Amino acid sequence: MKRQLEKYAGKLIADGGADAASMAILAKDDQILELGSPELLQLGRAVLERLNVVSLVIADPSLPLLDTLFGRLSPQASEIVPLDTETRTFLHDIPVVRRDQFSAEHPERLVELLGQRKGILVEGVGIMTTGSVTVELGYINYCSIYHALFIKILLDFLQGNPPTLNEIQSLLPLWHQLQVPIPERVDDLRGAGLGEHEDILHAMEIAGRRTVELHLVDSFFGNISCRVGSRQYISQTGASLDELSGCIDIVADDNSSTAGITASSELIAHRAIYQQTGAAAILHGHPKFSVILSLLCEETDCRIKDCWKECERVRSLCGTPIVAGEVGAGGIAKKVPPVIGETGTAIVYGHGVFATGSNDFVRPLRALIRLENDCRREYLRLLQGRVVDSSSSVLLAQKQV
Amino acid sequence: MNGWCGRLLAVDLSSGKIWVESLKQELLQAYLGGRGLGVRLLRDSYHLDPFASEIPLVFAVGPLCGTPAPTAARLAVVSRSPLTGTIYDCSAGGRFAWRLKAAGFDAVRISGQSTSPKVLAITPQGGELLPATELWGQPIAETVQALSGRGSVAAIGPAGENRVLFGNIMMGEGNAVGRGGLGAVMGAKQLKAITVDGDRRYDVADRPRFDQARKDIMRLFRASPVIFGDLGIAEYGTPALVDLMAQRRMAPTENFRKTVFSRSDKYSGPAIRQAYQPKKDGCYGCPIQCKKSTREGVPLPEYETVSHFGALNGVDDLRSIVQSNTICNQMGMDTISAAVTLATWGELRGTFLRADELAPLLRDIAFRRGDGDLLDLGSARLAAQKGQPNLSMSVKGLELPAYDPRGAYGMALAYCTSNRGGCHLRAYPISHEILRKPVATDRFSFAGKARIIKIAEDTNATIDSLVACKFSFFGASLEEYGELLSATTGCEYDPQHLKSIGERIYLTERFYNQQNGFTAAADQLPERFFVEPGSSGEGIEVPPIDRQRFAEEMDKYYRMRGLTPEGRFADADFLERQP
Ligand SMILES: [Zn+2]
Repeated sequence: MKRQLEKYAGKLIADGGADAASMAILAKDDQILELGSPELLQLGRAVLERLNVVSLVIADPSLPLLDTLFGRLSPQASEIVPLDTETRTFLHDIPVVRRDQFSAEHPERLVELLGQRKGILVEGVGIMTTGSVTVELGYINYCSIYHALFIKILLDFLQGNPPTLNEIQSLLPLWHQLQVPIPERVDDLRGAGLGEHEDILHAMEIAGRRTVELHLVDSFFGNISCRVGSRQYISQTGASLDELSGCIDIVADDNSSTAGITASSELIAHRAIYQQTGAAAILHGHPKFSVILSLLCEETDCRIKDCWKECERVRSLCGTPIVAGEVGAGGIAKKVPPVIGETGTAIVYGHGVFATGSNDFVRPLRALIRLENDCRREYLRLLQGRVVDSSSSVLLAQKQV
Repeated sequence: MNGWCGRLLAVDLSSGKIWVESLKQELLQAYLGGRGLGVRLLRDSYHLDPFASEIPLVFAVGPLCGTPAPTAARLAVVSRSPLTGTIYDCSAGGRFAWRLKAAGFDAVRISGQSTSPKVLAITPQGGELLPATELWGQPIAETVQALSGRGSVAAIGPAGENRVLFGNIMMGEGNAVGRGGLGAVMGAKQLKAITVDGDRRYDVADRPRFDQARKDIMRLFRASPVIFGDLGIAEYGTPALVDLMAQRRMAPTENFRKTVFSRSDKYSGPAIRQAYQPKKDGCYGCPIQCKKSTREGVPLPEYETVSHFGALNGVDDLRSIVQSNTICNQMGMDTISAAVTLATWGELRGTFLRADELAPLLRDIAFRRGDGDLLDLGSARLAAQKGQPNLSMSVKGLELPAYDPRGAYGMALAYCTSNRGGCHLRAYPISHEILRKPVATDRFSFAGKARIIKIAEDTNATIDSLVACKFSFFGASLEEYGELLSATTGCEYDPQHLKSIGERIYLTERFYNQQNGFTAAADQLPERFFVEPGSSGEGIEVPPIDRQRFAEEMDKYYRMRGLTPEGRFADADFLERQP
């Protein structure tokens, strides 16, 4: 269990946008095991002792997303509602707690809210999440909330109040990051063909890991598959794309075995895509700016409220079709296959991107990278149109020196 | 009061008296219903012999029953098990639960013993005892048919009448109140069947909130491959697990001597589909519909049943497996305990039964004739009487289901910590150890498992008290069910609060068991699993369970439960401190 703490503390920093100085991770065995900043651990212990769960993650993202959120929230707001559909499917609303509502001596409000929800946003502290089964689950819930928060704030810059100079300044590292395109590191996947069993597993593992390293998905979400003969290799449900070894199921087209019951919840969608397009490989990630821009809709007098599952239109973003649909047996499997054939890429409203390839993972991975790079540029362009002062404008265009 | 009726129907079969008692709101809020309420109602009688006249047999529904909450038209039946000697509850679906609520009752408590066979007929006006002499001896379908004008039926078959220690109570739609022999308890009371009819409807306290929670749950079901995936249980029923357990090399074979049966594809989910073209069936009000039946409406076996009449007995003949299931259903007899007992018998004799020997022997067990008059006692008593107690693959006398503990260490612990004996459903670690829900754990590791099992036991005690189906939790969690419950009752229930209710229920059961003589020595797996390996191969090593690591994790479990190192309660007043 100690090893689990170390592993996920490392991941929090590498993939979760957290900072070593402002994070704590705790787990309950027959006693509490812990790792992280002493101050947060004191609070963490006080909370975890009172909860019937396994793990607790506390981390303040190094980008000041929480400060930005609290600066924008009305003082009465007691929760935020995630806009991205994956988080919305699994986490519902996310409670927020103000500085004056708790202390390490009096964590009752935190305990109460964490007794109701898998995670909360705490002013001055960060994101706090629990795991009812493992340390990993606490980390997964953290990643979901981080993702939801990121999307919420960056979309709000475009749709709500324009960002202030102060906000632009505080997120400077992000704007710098966006100026540099995601590198097209796909060459080592070339020729990693889909021939022998071992080669296929290897190619999937590399492509999966790369997708995570390039931040095109939070490791636990997203999925990957390829079709060989009349069988499909597909990542398992809840498998980390950067740790696919031993987590790939082989599913026969004729359903002659049900051992693939553990396959990704998007197995149905992948199958339908193969049937309707003749593709041989599929990669699905949640690149942040593709997701954010997919949520921007110009429609004014539309009567649909739950756009993310009910919108029937096929819109377009950077030349790529956008459709709406729920996770799993809900809608993606119906909506994506008819539109993905033409461009080999499709965006699911508020959720992520599916991309196909005909003989390896080069084209799917490259498609995700290129689309995300296009969306980053487009986002910056739109944001430039929103900022009111010239200093903001200069900061947004600035390259890191 | 929303969610509960606040009424209990009390029946004394000895005197023939039937009356209505009111249930206090505090009690209902503290124990919810189903298992929790039933366990609470046994506080003054848990020490009685399961066949004693005065022991109550409680049927209890939950606060969500009667609402459109997904998978919640269920009830729990609670008493003391004649098979295990523990407190015992079992949850079952079917229309019976829904009709009982519609008749205006949260629970029925039946005590006493009739001098002749009776049927209890329940309506909103109360209950009535009808003579049932001509029904005594009838199989389930015939009994249900004979009572068809009276609403929903729960009945025992010949097995319950003859006090077979694993006799079931069967719901008219084919669902079983299974495992611990509560059918025998009902048989000892000479109660052949209960019918119930009613038409009362219920409002929930907060309809928009209820509808939102319901939508959230349905969305999570659709996002769960185990539930609604192409290869999931809505499509194939629980036999979808046959192929998976074979691949994981943890399908108990030949009385747990091996863990792979090479011919399991003969009765896998796809094989059943091909042979029977089953139709989807299931519990009333359940969107999943995981039960499968033949075109003629005969229920097809569940995973545990196919695997145990199959691999465990070395049988690959699907027809005879389905026939065995049908006989058990008709006789009102638990399939898992029956199949394990047959396998124990096979190992004791030195040869496992042939496919064509299953059916006649199962009938003999139900009627306690020939060898059946020994096998009706279950595998533990059978093996003990034959001088080889180690050959019974059971914990606390309850036969183990079709998940080999050498292939999932959380399962190994949970078989032992379960208050009703070797049951997979109390903590259901298969969910994370095998099905990766809500997240995967390392099935060959004990690390952290005691805590996971403890939390899951608390959670599942709550689920059994709501009463919802465990399969819902492959998608949803107590977060959403807490919302449903709050919206239904108007009282606030969050997951933390609900788990504390589950903890209270678990501890109450354990306390009853302790008072009835159970010690830590009973929290133990059969010796086989510590000394014999499973069937390793294809890159999967299945060693015997490390006895020391197992013991360490059990010690941790006792500490987490606040028990002494001997697994006992430190104070004798535990019950007095409970509501
Ligand atoms: Zn996705």
